[in-house]
Amino acid sequence: MENTQSEQYQKLTQELRRGILVLAALSQLEEEKYGYSLISSLAEQGLDIEQGTLYPLLRRLEEQGLLKSEWNTEGSRPRRYYQISSKGSQVLGNLTEEWRNLTNVMEKLLAGISS
Amino acid sequence: MSLLDRYIHEVGRFLPRKKRGSIQAELRSSVIDTLEGRFGPEPDQDQVAEILLEFGKPRDVAASYHPRGQYLVGPGLYPLFQMVAWIVVAAVLGAQLLAFGVSAFIAGEPFSALETLASLVSSVPAALGWLLITFMILQYFDAKPSLEEDPWDPKSLPELNPEQELKKGELILGLVGGILILVLLTLFPQWVGFITAPGGKFYPNPVILDYLVLIQISLLATILMNIYLLWKGSWTFLTRVIKLGLDAFGVVILAFLIQGHNAWLVANGSSGVMVISTIESNNWELVGMHAFRLAFVVAFIVTVIEIFATIYRMVRSKMASDVSAKDFVLKVE
Repeated sequence: MENTQSEQYQKLTQELRRGILVLAALSQLEEEKYGYSLISSLAEQGLDIEQGTLYPLLRRLEEQGLLKSEWNTEGSRPRRYYQISSKGSQVLGNLTEEWRNLTNVMEKLLAGISS
Repeated sequence: MSLLDRYIHEVGRFLPRKKRGSIQAELRSSVIDTLEGRFGPEPDQDQVAEILLEFGKPRDVAASYHPRGQYLVGPGLYPLFQMVAWIVVAAVLGAQLLAFGVSAFIAGEPFSALETLASLVSSVPAALGWLLITFMILQYFDAKPSLEEDPWDPKSLPELNPEQELKKGELILGLVGGILILVLLTLFPQWVGFITAPGGKFYPNPVILDYLVLIQISLLATILMNIYLLWKGSWTFLTRVIKLGLDAFGVVILAFLIQGHNAWLVANGSSGVMVISTIESNNWELVGMHAFRLAFVVAFIVTVIEIFATIYRMVRSKMASDVSAKDFVLKVE
């Protein structure tokens, strides 16, 4: 029973976090980064993302025109660098505003709940 | 070959050819970055295994690069696939049994239960296989059922009106029956007639053959309308009007058929209704044509009643929607 509850909790947490990944990734790509450096940067600021989640997400955002990417062969080995596109910047602005509204509302909704 | 090479190769097996090289290169670069970040420039095999375990099973990693999921038939098309599959199974089973019935009872060929069973076992999966291939192609091109309105308007939801509810069972039965008769008339027109006994003398019906094309058009139109009704899920004023038109068309064809049988019977010296002496005369050709005419007269009467029933339902449906609108107004007030 406890295992089931814990699994359920994990799934709910994953769902909750999945919604913010796009915003989190876009927010960190004003400067170009490769996959691992983005994961490290997010982890340093307290957001852990699984590798298997981030890489497909980056490609998807690129296919949607929100990111641009290029292979850089100057370092010790080739790496694919991602950076936000102009369309991505617009979307980031809108999503940020939406996020601030949401957090305000959620703060009010959760004000009376003890953690 | 190193563990990492084997892993990258295995992931590639499940990736689409077009993106394979690029995804594999990026994945390799990312795994090496992670290894270096965690264990330094020369990790051992156990450390590589630990990181690969974090990345996940090759099949799962590859699947995460398919944003729409890996479906043969996705959730959007599945309800239609399921409905068509049941109709196909029923029609194939019916057509097979019909074909065996024709060959055994009319052509007098020996009947083998084992052969029939073997044929059914192979034909049903084959038909379903072709259906699946068709839907896989639709899925590949991301086809959406064309009748789904986009954008969806909640106001287009059907009224809560029992008069508009479909009897799905009846409709599917009618659909399967219609397909079977159409298959019979199209593939075995020479076997439309009557027979005295299994394997006995066969008499083709010359009148039906005269009107074959009209009958086929009527059946096909009815089948298409039934499929459309199944799709929409309820009656509308328009579909009732179309049904009226098709029934009226059927009545005209039946009238032609009855007229044709009358003419044939008069020409063969047996006008009027079938009497005992006709049966006692052992002229099976006459008896058969009388029986056909009788069946068409019954079908004519049933179809005329059906036309009146449809008109009655249209009136009731209109009244019911008026009443529910009034109820709504009263409740709001």
